[in-house]
Amino acid sequence: MSDIARDPRQGQGEAEIALEYELDAKPERVWRAIAVPAFRERWLPGADLAEPEPIASIPGVEVRYRMREEEAPFADSTVTFRIEPGPNGGTLFRVIHRIEGAARRYASNDNLRPMSLAA
Amino acid sequence: MESDIFRALADPTRRSVFEKLALGGMNASDLRRGMTISQPAMSQHLAVLRSAGLVRERRDGRFVNYEVDPEGLVRIGQWLARYRAYWPRRIDDLKTLLKDMDQ
Repeated sequence: MSDIARDPRQGQGEAEIALEYELDAKPERVWRAIAVPAFRERWLPGADLAEPEPIASIPGVEVRYRMREEEAPFADSTVTFRIEPGPNGGTLFRVIHRIEGAARRYASNDNLRPMSLAA
Repeated sequence: MESDIFRALADPTRRSVFEKLALGGMNASDLRRGMTISQPAMSQHLAVLRSAGLVRERRDGRFVNYEVDPEGLVRIGQWLARYRAYWPRRIDDLKTLLKDMDQ
Protein backbone atom coordinates (compact mmCIF):
# COMPACT_ATOMS: atom_id res chain seq x y z
CA MET A 1 0.00 0.00 0.00
CA SER A 2 1.67 3.18 -1.09
CA ASP A 3 0.91 6.72 -0.18
CA ILE A 4 1.41 9.68 -2.37
CA ALA A 5 1.10 12.55 0.00
CA ARG A 6 1.18 15.68 -2.02
CA ASP A 7 2.46 18.69 -0.17
CA PRO A 8 -0.28 20.72 1.41
CA ARG A 9 -0.79 23.87 -0.57
CA GLN A 10 -1.03 27.22 1.06
CA GLY A 11 -1.93 30.35 -0.78
CA GLN A 12 -1.59 33.67 0.93
CA GLY A 13 -5.10 34.08 2.13
CA GLU A 14 -6.55 30.67 1.73
CA ALA A 15 -5.72 27.47 3.39
CA GLU A 16 -6.13 24.08 1.88
CA ILE A 17 -4.67 20.69 2.59
CA ALA A 18 -4.79 18.32 -0.37
CA LEU A 19 -3.62 14.75 0.13
CA GLU A 20 -3.68 11.79 -2.18
CA TYR A 21 -3.39 8.14 -1.23
CA GLU A 22 -3.38 4.87 -3.11
CA LEU A 23 -5.39 2.31 -1.21
CA ASP A 24 -5.40 -1.43 -1.90
CA ALA A 25 -9.14 -1.74 -1.25
CA LYS A 26 -11.66 -1.52 -4.06
CA PRO A 27 -13.49 1.78 -4.58
CA GLU A 28 -16.81 0.21 -3.52
CA ARG A 29 -15.37 -0.76 -0.17
CA VAL A 30 -13.67 2.61 0.35
CA TRP A 31 -16.97 4.25 -0.47
CA ARG A 32 -18.71 2.33 2.30
CA ALA A 33 -15.90 3.22 4.72
CA ILE A 34 -16.32 6.93 4.10
CA ALA A 35 -20.10 7.14 3.65
CA VAL A 36 -21.69 4.57 5.99
CA PRO A 37 -21.81 6.24 9.44
CA ALA A 38 -20.90 3.11 11.43
CA PHE A 39 -17.78 2.57 9.29
CA ARG A 40 -16.90 6.24 9.07
CA GLU A 41 -17.03 6.46 12.85
CA ARG A 42 -14.20 3.93 13.12
CA TRP A 43 -11.66 6.12 11.41
CA LEU A 44 -13.18 9.61 11.45
CA PRO A 45 -14.98 10.08 14.77
CA GLY A 46 -18.22 12.02 14.78
CA ALA A 47 -16.75 14.15 17.58
CA ASP A 48 -14.44 15.69 14.99
CA LEU A 49 -17.34 16.61 12.73
CA ALA A 50 -19.64 19.58 13.08
CA GLU A 51 -22.49 17.27 12.12
CA PRO A 52 -22.45 13.50 11.53
CA GLU A 53 -24.24 13.68 8.19
CA PRO A 54 -22.41 14.68 5.01
CA ILE A 55 -23.22 18.14 3.69
CA ALA A 56 -22.86 16.90 0.13
CA SER A 57 -22.45 13.55 -1.50
CA ILE A 58 -22.16 12.03 -4.96
CA PRO A 59 -22.67 8.30 -4.39
CA GLY A 60 -19.55 6.30 -5.15
CA VAL A 61 -17.54 9.39 -6.03
CA GLU A 62 -17.25 11.92 -3.28
CA VAL A 63 -18.59 12.90 0.10
CA ARG A 64 -18.14 16.14 2.01
CA TYR A 65 -18.31 16.75 5.73
CA ARG A 66 -18.12 19.85 7.82
CA MET A 67 -15.39 19.60 10.42
CA ARG A 68 -15.74 20.84 13.96
CA GLU A 69 -13.22 23.55 14.73
CA GLU A 70 -13.27 24.21 18.43
CA GLU A 71 -9.68 24.99 19.24
CA ALA A 72 -8.77 26.15 15.79
CA PRO A 73 -8.66 29.73 14.69
CA PHE A 74 -11.49 29.07 12.27
CA ALA A 75 -15.18 28.58 12.87
CA ASP A 76 -15.41 25.52 10.69
CA SER A 77 -14.02 23.94 7.58
CA THR A 78 -15.04 21.32 5.06
CA VAL A 79 -13.34 18.15 4.03
CA THR A 80 -14.06 16.35 0.77
CA PHE A 81 -13.15 12.72 0.20
CA ARG A 82 -12.99 11.77 -3.44
CA ILE A 83 -12.49 8.29 -4.75
CA GLU A 84 -11.70 6.89 -8.14
CA PRO A 85 -10.42 3.56 -9.40
CA GLY A 86 -6.69 3.24 -8.85
CA PRO A 87 -4.05 0.93 -10.26
CA ASN A 88 -4.35 -2.84 -9.65
CA GLY A 89 -8.00 -2.69 -8.64
CA GLY A 90 -7.29 -0.33 -5.79
CA THR A 91 -8.54 3.14 -5.07
CA LEU A 92 -7.14 6.59 -5.54
CA PHE A 93 -8.27 8.43 -2.45
CA ARG A 94 -8.14 12.20 -2.17
CA VAL A 95 -8.61 14.34 0.89
CA ILE A 96 -9.28 18.02 0.29
CA HIS A 97 -9.66 20.01 3.47
CA ARG A 98 -10.14 23.74 3.28
CA ILE A 99 -11.36 26.71 5.20
CA GLU A 100 -12.29 28.39 1.94
CA GLY A 101 -15.10 25.91 1.37
CA ALA A 102 -16.90 26.99 4.49
CA ALA A 103 -16.34 30.58 3.54
CA ARG A 104 -18.40 29.98 0.46
CA ARG A 105 -21.47 29.86 2.62
CA TYR A 106 -20.94 33.52 3.23
CA ALA A 107 -19.95 34.37 -0.30
CA SER A 108 -23.52 34.59 -1.50
CA ASN A 109 -24.07 36.94 1.37
CA ASP A 110 -21.15 39.16 0.61
CA ASN A 111 -23.05 42.37 1.16
CA LEU A 112 -22.45 41.71 4.85
CA ARG A 113 -21.28 44.98 6.29
CA PRO A 114 -18.16 45.31 8.42
CA MET A 115 -20.51 45.88 11.33
CA SER A 116 -21.60 42.28 11.27
CA LEU A 117 -18.03 41.16 10.63
CA ALA A 118 -16.65 42.81 13.73
CA ALA A 119 -15.57 40.48 16.51
CA MET B 1 -13.03 36.80 15.57
CA GLU B 2 -12.43 33.35 14.11
CA SER B 3 -15.16 33.32 11.53
CA ASP B 4 -14.08 36.82 10.51
CA ILE B 5 -11.09 35.33 8.73
CA PHE B 6 -13.46 33.14 6.77
CA ARG B 7 -15.69 35.95 5.76
CA ALA B 8 -12.82 38.28 5.01
CA LEU B 9 -11.26 35.83 2.60
CA ALA B 10 -14.51 34.63 1.04
CA ASP B 11 -14.51 37.66 -1.22
CA PRO B 12 -12.24 37.37 -4.30
CA THR B 13 -11.40 41.08 -4.32
CA ARG B 14 -10.33 40.99 -0.70
CA ARG B 15 -8.32 37.89 -1.39
CA SER B 16 -6.42 39.62 -4.18
CA VAL B 17 -5.87 42.67 -1.97
CA PHE B 18 -4.49 40.36 0.69
CA GLU B 19 -2.27 38.62 -1.85
CA LYS B 20 -0.89 41.95 -3.06
CA LEU B 21 -0.06 42.96 0.48
CA ALA B 22 1.66 39.65 1.03
CA LEU B 23 4.28 40.86 -1.48
CA GLY B 24 4.95 43.96 0.60
CA GLY B 25 3.20 46.78 2.40
CA MET B 26 1.67 49.60 0.36
CA ASN B 27 -0.83 52.40 0.61
CA ALA B 28 -4.44 52.29 -0.55
CA SER B 29 -3.88 54.03 -3.89
CA ASP B 30 -0.97 51.74 -4.80
CA LEU B 31 -3.21 48.86 -3.91
CA ARG B 32 -5.92 50.07 -6.27
CA ARG B 33 -3.52 50.21 -9.21
CA GLY B 34 -4.55 47.65 -11.80
CA MET B 35 -7.86 47.02 -10.12
CA THR B 36 -11.23 48.43 -11.11
CA ILE B 37 -12.29 49.39 -7.66
CA SER B 38 -13.33 52.70 -6.13
CA GLN B 39 -11.47 54.25 -3.26
CA PRO B 40 -14.38 53.82 -0.79
CA ALA B 41 -14.73 50.18 -1.83
CA MET B 42 -11.01 49.63 -1.22
CA SER B 43 -11.29 51.28 2.20
CA GLN B 44 -14.15 48.99 3.03
CA HIS B 45 -12.26 45.88 1.98
CA LEU B 46 -9.24 46.98 4.01
CA ALA B 47 -11.48 47.57 7.02
CA VAL B 48 -12.83 44.04 6.76
CA LEU B 49 -9.33 42.58 6.44
CA ARG B 50 -8.21 44.63 9.44
CA SER B 51 -11.10 43.58 11.63
CA ALA B 52 -10.33 39.96 10.76
CA GLY B 53 -6.76 40.50 11.99
CA LEU B 54 -5.26 39.71 8.59
CA VAL B 55 -4.03 43.18 7.74
CA ARG B 56 -2.72 46.04 9.85
CA GLU B 57 -1.97 49.64 9.05
CA ARG B 58 1.17 51.58 9.69
CA ARG B 59 1.50 55.31 9.42
CA ASP B 60 4.35 56.48 7.22
CA GLY B 61 4.50 60.27 7.25
CA ARG B 62 1.37 61.51 5.53
CA PHE B 63 0.52 58.09 4.21
CA VAL B 64 -1.04 55.07 5.77
CA ASN B 65 0.60 51.89 4.67
CA TYR B 66 -1.14 48.57 4.87
CA GLU B 67 0.65 45.32 5.49
CA VAL B 68 -0.10 41.71 6.26
CA ASP B 69 -0.53 41.13 9.97
CA PRO B 70 1.82 38.24 10.81
CA GLU B 71 -0.50 37.04 13.56
CA GLY B 72 -3.23 36.38 11.02
CA LEU B 73 -0.79 34.26 9.04
CA VAL B 74 0.27 32.46 12.17
CA ARG B 75 -3.32 31.42 12.75
CA ILE B 76 -3.61 30.03 9.24
CA GLY B 77 -0.27 28.29 9.77
CA GLN B 78 -1.52 26.72 12.99
CA TRP B 79 -4.59 25.39 11.25
CA LEU B 80 -2.44 23.84 8.53
CA ALA B 81 0.01 22.36 11.01
CA ARG B 82 -2.75 20.77 13.05
CA TYR B 83 -4.37 19.06 10.10
CA ARG B 84 -1.13 18.02 8.46
CA ALA B 85 -0.63 15.93 11.58
CA TYR B 86 -4.28 14.91 11.86
CA TRP B 87 -5.03 13.41 8.45
CA PRO B 88 -2.20 10.84 8.26
CA ARG B 89 -3.45 9.38 11.58
CA ARG B 90 -7.00 9.23 10.26
CA ILE B 91 -5.85 7.55 7.06
CA ASP B 92 -3.97 4.94 9.10
CA ASP B 93 -7.22 4.15 10.90
CA LEU B 94 -9.04 4.03 7.57
CA LYS B 95 -6.56 1.48 6.27
CA THR B 96 -7.05 -0.63 9.38
CA LEU B 97 -10.81 -0.48 8.90
CA LEU B 98 -10.52 -1.45 5.23
CA LYS B 99 -8.51 -4.50 6.24
CA ASP B 100 -11.08 -5.42 8.90
CA MET B 101 -13.84 -5.15 6.32
CA ASP B 102 -11.91 -7.78 4.39
CA GLN B 103 -12.63 -10.45 6.99
